[in-house]
Amino acid sequence: MDFVTQSVIIGLTEHAPLVLAAIGFALIYRLTGLINVAYSETLTLGAYFAMWLNTTFGLDFYATLIPTAILSGLLSVATYVLIFRPAKHRGVGGLEMIIISFGLSIFMRHGLQFIFGYPVRFFDVPSPDTIWVLGVGVTSFRLVALVSVALLALLLYLFIQRSSYGLQARALSADEQLAKVSGIRPLVVSVMIWFVAGVAGGLAGAFYGVGSSVAPLLGWRQFLFILLVVLVGGAWGLGGVIAVGVATGILLTAMALTFGQILYAQLALIVAFIVLLKWQGRRLTETAKV
Amino acid sequence: MNIDWLDAFLITGLFEVVMIIGLALLLHLQLGLTRIANFGVVGFWGLGMYAFGVLYVKVDWPFGDPWQFLACAALATLVAGLAGVVVGWLIANLDTDGVLVGTLGFATVIAILATTEDGLTGGARGMGGLRIPFDVGTVKEDEFAWLLVLTAVVAVIFLYAWRVHRSPYGRLLIAVGSSEALARSLGKSTFRTKIGLFAVTSGAMGLLGAMNGAMVRYLDVGNLGVEITLATMVGLVLGGSVRVWGAVVGVVLSVGLFDIVISSYLPLPREWYTQTIPVLRQAAFGLALIIVLLFRPLGILGDMRRDKLMRKIHGR
Amino acid sequence: MVADTSAAAAGVAARARPEIHVRGAVKSFSGRVVVDVDDLILGGEPIEGLIGPNGAGKTTLMRLIMHSLPFDRGTVSLRPSAGAEVVLSSLAAHQMARHGVVKSNQVIMDFDKLTIWDSLLLAVAEARYEQPQRVLAEGTVFRRHEEEMRHYLDFFDFEDPCRPALSAGEKKLLDIVRCLLLKPSFLLLDEPTAGLPDDLTEKVMDVVRELASQGTSVVIVEHDLTLIWSLCDRVHFMAEGSVVLAGDPASIRENHTVVEKYLGEGHA
Repeated sequence: MDFVTQSVIIGLTEHAPLVLAAIGFALIYRLTGLINVAYSETLTLGAYFAMWLNTTFGLDFYATLIPTAILSGLLSVATYVLIFRPAKHRGVGGLEMIIISFGLSIFMRHGLQFIFGYPVRFFDVPSPDTIWVLGVGVTSFRLVALVSVALLALLLYLFIQRSSYGLQARALSADEQLAKVSGIRPLVVSVMIWFVAGVAGGLAGAFYGVGSSVAPLLGWRQFLFILLVVLVGGAWGLGGVIAVGVATGILLTAMALTFGQILYAQLALIVAFIVLLKWQGRRLTETAKV
Repeated sequence: MNIDWLDAFLITGLFEVVMIIGLALLLHLQLGLTRIANFGVVGFWGLGMYAFGVLYVKVDWPFGDPWQFLACAALATLVAGLAGVVVGWLIANLDTDGVLVGTLGFATVIAILATTEDGLTGGARGMGGLRIPFDVGTVKEDEFAWLLVLTAVVAVIFLYAWRVHRSPYGRLLIAVGSSEALARSLGKSTFRTKIGLFAVTSGAMGLLGAMNGAMVRYLDVGNLGVEITLATMVGLVLGGSVRVWGAVVGVVLSVGLFDIVISSYLPLPREWYTQTIPVLRQAAFGLALIIVLLFRPLGILGDMRRDKLMRKIHGR
Repeated sequence: MVADTSAAAAGVAARARPEIHVRGAVKSFSGRVVVDVDDLILGGEPIEGLIGPNGAGKTTLMRLIMHSLPFDRGTVSLRPSAGAEVVLSSLAAHQMARHGVVKSNQVIMDFDKLTIWDSLLLAVAEARYEQPQRVLAEGTVFRRHEEEMRHYLDFFDFEDPCRPALSAGEKKLLDIVRCLLLKPSFLLLDEPTAGLPDDLTEKVMDVVRELASQGTSVVIVEHDLTLIWSLCDRVHFMAEGSVVLAGDPASIRENHTVVEKYLGEGHA
């Protein structure tokens, strides 16, 4: 079987949720400048909530996605309204903001453990069919996940780049004072951004969960990769985030196939991305203010 | 020495508290003075612990304890210090976002390596064969004596941090944390300063990891998660990240509360200790970070008092 | 004459005072050219002024020289009064001060946690005392430099060096004192008197004159023209990103272009 085809198809289907999660994270990062560590818990919550609806009420997996999206979006908005907005108004610095989001992440993760218990949980779904794409076997769930993610990503991209809300959001991130003068209501636009980001994160979490299992560390395990994708890809805008996300998925798979060990693939990717960031950063920091 | 009044849990709890105080003092130099948010404390600590474990168990040393311990701990410190140089070099010219990625990435790399290199580290099965490098009596007495040794080491770290505040070096760290551009315009190499800081503090974190390895005797990759970093950061931030005493006060009030007061003195049902208390502890730590940074960002002890300090050492 | 030529060939020339040579320097922000200096030598005279209307690119040029902004293209080099030419634009920002090139800041900059003593000690402390292992060096550094620090504290009447600089004026003054303590051979002052009361402005200028008489080249960017005319030995007039005129104060003051573009009718 051709190594490249295999890497591309498995990489795309298995890591499609990473792209979706990265878009959500990038929305908050690009438009408010905040690195939100607690975003990883939006993923975890999405996975848990979809699993709970699925196992408790016997809801079909796809039927769980809509309530999951709404709840994740609301939770994301709640973190903004209850914590990040007041923090900003109190003039909390960028470094402290990251530590706050780190604390929130820890708090939510263990809160979820308290509610849903400690053991690893699973969706109750019929075992998926295997579909052959270019000679590579893919489960139907992952294929559907890929299609849904591609669709959602496209919608989000259009939302940011084309819709009036997207325009307002970009205006707000560029210059808050000017945006206010131009009649943009920052609160409405910010809530919108946080909601959409939460939806993306929650759905990504649900797709991750149905693809394997649901555990308290589900979101946190992806966080570093989401962060790397957004920081490295962010230099070229939202399109860059999507491109780097896709490339990351394919590279992870290709390296996992080569090394026979997913951990080595992750290791290589982390090191490569950090070195890349270092190289990008060298050009950025020259504009110091003296 | 009669230590019947001490139970084994209390010794373990105290060891944890003193060790985290040591880590928090080192983080104080990075985060409090130089304003570098190291989210990978566990990486340097864990690297020291595993480097020590591998050297101690896998290498055939021609001499026994305590020399074997000293040699291995010294090398572990060196390895962690070198890792500090590399990480310091990577993050020295990045902003806070880059520092988060670099340090978190480093901690993840260490956790991955401890798992994959199971020929050396025992991987997910864990690694045994470590011990406290002396024998003064019962296991409890050994552990108590080891706690005293750790306390002495952490006291040295405390004195060092205390001296840093009263030295040109500490002034440089504060200047770099306050305005890098201005520090550079005064001829200070902020790049080299950060690398040097990371070399020293990371090495010391590695030493604390090595000492922990000798205490727990059995290394488990499960300990390389976010818990150590969290406890260190909560302790420091709660007490006051810009004050030397902040690390001590904050860790006693946070880690001390859970690992000593609650585990040793509260009459709670036994089954709570395995799951409920650890989860509650983490949730409370997370909440503490949010509340302190929202309502009292400089922690219990508040801002540093350079004015008092300068009056004391230089006067008018 | 023969000796002179060989010295020049080696890039070493005996000069009265250090010069900064800016060549082909271009900087633009989002397409708009802010600085376009073809060939400029600063520092031939003891004290030189750099004047021009707002937006002429004076501060940007200063920041380019000091490396706090990257060039689009161009080089800056330092010709010290003795020794070989140093290409400043290929140095790291912190190395400028080590070559004696120092600039005071136009906007107020201070270390918010540090006291006045701290600021002074930071400026004078040598790198070898700022190592992680030198945590006992405070007394040494203080004693080595106590005299010069006290000199400036007394001269500028700092009330209490044990507290941070409070007012804007005090911070501005502290910024200048930090620069002076670095013992610059080439000092750039970007609007040094903005925000300072008159008596302190006088004192700052006294120090600058003294420094210049000892061989330091001083370049001042100022809007207070009375000060420029009285202090400077040579004045560069900048407009729209380029230095369009240079000469002694009297000739610049009466120049037709300067009057028209900057001073306004009736000024001369």
